[in-house]
Amino acid sequence: MTENYEAIVAKVADTLVSAGSTFRDDKKDAYRRAIAAEQNPQAKWVLETVLENAEAAEKNRSPLCDDSGIPHLVLEVGEDRAVTGKLLDAIREGVATGLRQLPGRPMGIMGDDSHRIDQSGGLNPDSAGVEPSPILLRRCENNVLRLHILMFGGGPAIRGKTYRVFHKHNTQVVLEEIVSWAKQSVSELGCSPCTLAVGVGRSHFEAASLMLQAQVDGNYNVQSEMEREITRRVNEADIGPLGLHGNTSVLATFMKVGPQRASGVRIVSLRPTCCFEPRIATVEL
Amino acid sequence: MAIQLTTPISEAAAEALQVGDTVEISGYILCGRDAVLPKVLKMIEDGTAGELGVDLRGQVIFHTAVSPAGVGPTSSNKLEIESSISPLSAAGIKLHLGKGALHQETIEALDKYNAVYAVIPPVTALLEAKTTERKVLAFPELGMEALHLIKVDKYPAIIGAAHGRSIYD
Repeated sequence: MTENYEAIVAKVADTLVSAGSTFRDDKKDAYRRAIAAEQNPQAKWVLETVLENAEAAEKNRSPLCDDSGIPHLVLEVGEDRAVTGKLLDAIREGVATGLRQLPGRPMGIMGDDSHRIDQSGGLNPDSAGVEPSPILLRRCENNVLRLHILMFGGGPAIRGKTYRVFHKHNTQVVLEEIVSWAKQSVSELGCSPCTLAVGVGRSHFEAASLMLQAQVDGNYNVQSEMEREITRRVNEADIGPLGLHGNTSVLATFMKVGPQRASGVRIVSLRPTCCFEPRIATVEL
Repeated sequence: MAIQLTTPISEAAAEALQVGDTVEISGYILCGRDAVLPKVLKMIEDGTAGELGVDLRGQVIFHTAVSPAGVGPTSSNKLEIESSISPLSAAGIKLHLGKGALHQETIEALDKYNAVYAVIPPVTALLEAKTTERKVLAFPELGMEALHLIKVDKYPAIIGAAHGRSIYD
């Protein structure tokens, strides 16, 4: 592990820079389809500008957005692979290195609990002062250690929602609620077109975890019937890119439904990810 | 064809802008958001805004932080930001640059002072190439949220509110 430590730090740092600066190919495909289909000239201009920005960011390895985001990590563990404290240290150091290389926006808040709430402790001037969220672990089929890094911006966090839905033994009731939340949140976001990330679970923690995993597993070229229905119905609201009207309020929906409890309630977590999200990159360690 | 706007923006140029116009903004512009705008308003109230060293008349204020990651609009309908639009317009700001829908009373205040609101896509990588100078004007303790002055070349935007109308209607 010791001799491998620096190699892991470098891989994680490089992956974080990719997450903050690069669109995956399926996302570029989604934008090209949206540009071709959009009839509203202002909406089309916004979509073209966002894709042009993505091409510039990828070329320069620079931030897609000045809100470079909070690192969220998903670690997949294969059959014979071990997660040690040293590995977690290497991942953490790699995140810090990557934030400096990107560079990430220095938006870590300093101070005690009260200072961090009211922001009176000042800003850490170091990009690496932005700590990652707790790592989510899950099993994977391949015998590898695979790390996904996602960069979460503040706008979707303001407009996201995790709450209970009484399903009345009808899936359409839950979908109706998701569409209603999404229309409201997308219209307020200001950074559409969105990709809707949805988790449905048994607790707030589980639903938010599924919402995160939905962004890891989602693909713009592979959409389920429920995902297509949510996307179509939100797009009918004529919110459009940046809220300037048009058909492209939502590029796709990434939805993950977990195990459910025998109960009349489902916990739904919705994040209206912005025009650049999911900002994600993946590496095998 | 985009309308070219260079700071300071004249009363006539502001008057001519209509909702939906595409514009390109060049020259020196101010940058500030939630943390610093209330402090700038306090300076205006106290009659000390002259200490900023910039004439606010005809100016643009971009609702953004300025950091090593670049610039990009934050939501202009955040409480401290949107509530600054009317008094800053009264002080001479001609164009508020950000994103998101504004409330009707703010749109009416813009019209009252012959000012406009423009929406800029959050295209940080493209804006970086169009930003040639940047410096802190006031409140450096706020870091990226300090009041900044930057020089820009053809920032792209769409007029989102003018003459009492909004593009979000």
